[in-house]
Amino acid sequence: MPEILQYSFMVRAIVAGLLVAITVPVLGSFLVARRYSLISDSLAHVSLAGVGAGLLLGFSPVIVAVPVTVVGALVLEWLRQSRRISGEISLAILMSSGLAVAVVLANLARGASTDFSGYLFGSIATTSTGDVLVIASTAAVVLAAVVLNYRSLLHIAFDEDSARIAGRRVTLLNYLLTGLTAAMVVLSLRIVGGLLISALLVMPVVAASQLATSFARTMVLAVVFAIVAVVGGLVIAFYAGVAAGGAIVLSALALLIAAMIWKR
Amino acid sequence: MSNTKTLKTSAVPLHANNKALLIDIDELCVRYGNELVLDAVTFCIHRGEFIGLIGSNGAGKTTLLKTVLGLLKPTSGTISRQQATIGYVPQRGASYSGAVPISVLEVVKLGANGATGAAKAALARAGMEQYAHKRFTELSGGQQQRVSIAKALAGNADVLILDEPATGIDERSQVEFYNLLQSLQAQGVTIIMVSHEVDTVLKLVTRVICLNRSILYDGPPEHFEADKYLPKAFARQHVQLHHHHEEPHA
Repeated sequence: MPEILQYSFMVRAIVAGLLVAITVPVLGSFLVARRYSLISDSLAHVSLAGVGAGLLLGFSPVIVAVPVTVVGALVLEWLRQSRRISGEISLAILMSSGLAVAVVLANLARGASTDFSGYLFGSIATTSTGDVLVIASTAAVVLAAVVLNYRSLLHIAFDEDSARIAGRRVTLLNYLLTGLTAAMVVLSLRIVGGLLISALLVMPVVAASQLATSFARTMVLAVVFAIVAVVGGLVIAFYAGVAAGGAIVLSALALLIAAMIWKR
Repeated sequence: MSNTKTLKTSAVPLHANNKALLIDIDELCVRYGNELVLDAVTFCIHRGEFIGLIGSNGAGKTTLLKTVLGLLKPTSGTISRQQATIGYVPQRGASYSGAVPISVLEVVKLGANGATGAAKAALARAGMEQYAHKRFTELSGGQQQRVSIAKALAGNADVLILDEPATGIDERSQVEFYNLLQSLQAQGVTIIMVSHEVDTVLKLVTRVICLNRSILYDGPPEHFEADKYLPKAFARQHVQLHHHHEEPHA
C-alpha cells in the first residue's frame, strides 16, 4: 500500500477531495456556460464571513457558514433577476463585503486566526469523518438535483429566453443552482480554501471545453480533470510538504495549460 | 405559456382571409418607464401566414415579439392565443456562444424536450443532419440559424417567430435560409419575421406590418407603398432614405 494511504487522515482527505472533484465541476459547467463563474469567488468570500461568525460565536464554522452563504446566494440571484444591480457589480460588492466581514469577525474571535487561515487556504488534512459524511450527503443532493433538472438547467444556461418560452421553471431553477453552488462552496472550504475554490469550479471546465465538442462530454471530462487535479495535488502536497489547496489549484492550472496546448 | 383563452371578436384586418385565427393582439400597449414603446397595437395572426414585421430601431418590433412570446407583460391590452406551439429564433449570436461548447444535436434536443429521434428528424428537415455532432459555434451564421429553426421544429412549432434572423449572414446563406422559410410556410408553418431587409421581406412574405410604436401599415406586400410608409417608420432616426432597402444606422 502506498505510504499516503497508510494515514487515515490522508484517506479521509482523498475521499472528501474526490467528492468535491466530482460535484463542483458539474455545477461549474452550468455556471461557466452562463458566464457566471465569478459567483463561486463571491460566495466563498461570503462563506468566510459565516466562518468568522462561527469562530466568534463558538459554533462550528461550517454550520454557521452554510445558511449565511445560501442566504447570500439567494440575495445575489434576486439582485440579478430583478436587474437592480448588474450581475458582475453585485458579485464584486458581495465579494469584498464578505471578506471584510470575515476578517473583522475573525479578528474579534481571539486566538482563532490559525483556524481562519485554514478556511482561507484549505486544510484538507484536518477533515474529520463527520466532514466527509456531510460532504457526501450534500454531493448526493447536488448530483440528484442536477440529474433531475439536467435538460432545464442546460436550456437556461444557453438560452434563458427560449427556456422561459418553453415553460421551464427558470426563476426557481436559477435559485436552485445558486443555492446548490453556495452549499458546495462552503463544503469545499476545507479542501481548497475560500480564496481558491473558484479555481476548482472553473479551471477543469475551461480545460475540458478546449477538447470536447458537446456540453455533456465537457462535463464528464471536467470531472475527470478535477479528480486528477485533486488526487495529484494531494499526492504532491503529501510528499513535497506544501499546502494541499495550492497544490490542487496548481495541478488544475497545469491541466488547463496542457489542454490549451493540445488544442493548438 | 400556451394559454387557450376564449377568443374575442376583434377588428377585421385588411388582409382578412378564411384561415384559422391563431393569435389575437388587441389594443396592446407597452411602456418602459415614461416611454410608450407600443401604442394600441391591434392585429390578428392566421394559420399559414408569413408576416414580415418592419420598422426602424426602437420602433418596438422586438418588444412586440417578446410580448407575444410572453417574455414581457403588456402595460395594457390583451394577447389571446389559440392552441399553438410557438418556436422562437432569436437574433444570431444571442445564445449558445458561451465559454462551454454545446453540440448541434444538444441545441436541437432542447427544443425536443430531450428526444433524440425528434431532434434528428428536425435537423434533417432543416437540411442540417450532417452537422449533428459539431460544436454549434463552429457553424457559419446561416447554418446556426438553420439549427435554431430545427430546434423550433423539434418542439412541433406551428408558429415560428424570428428576430432579425439573417443579420450578419452572407448573401448566399441568406438565400438558402429564406428558401427554407418558404418551404416551411408551404408545409403550413406560420411565420412572423422581424427584418431590416425591406426588399427581401416584400418578396417573401404574404403580409407586411410596418411598425413605429403603432401600426403604420398592415396588408399585402404588393400594396405596401414604401415611399409613403418608410419615411414615417424611420422618422425618428432622422435619416434620409434614398432606397427603401437601405438600413439606417441608429
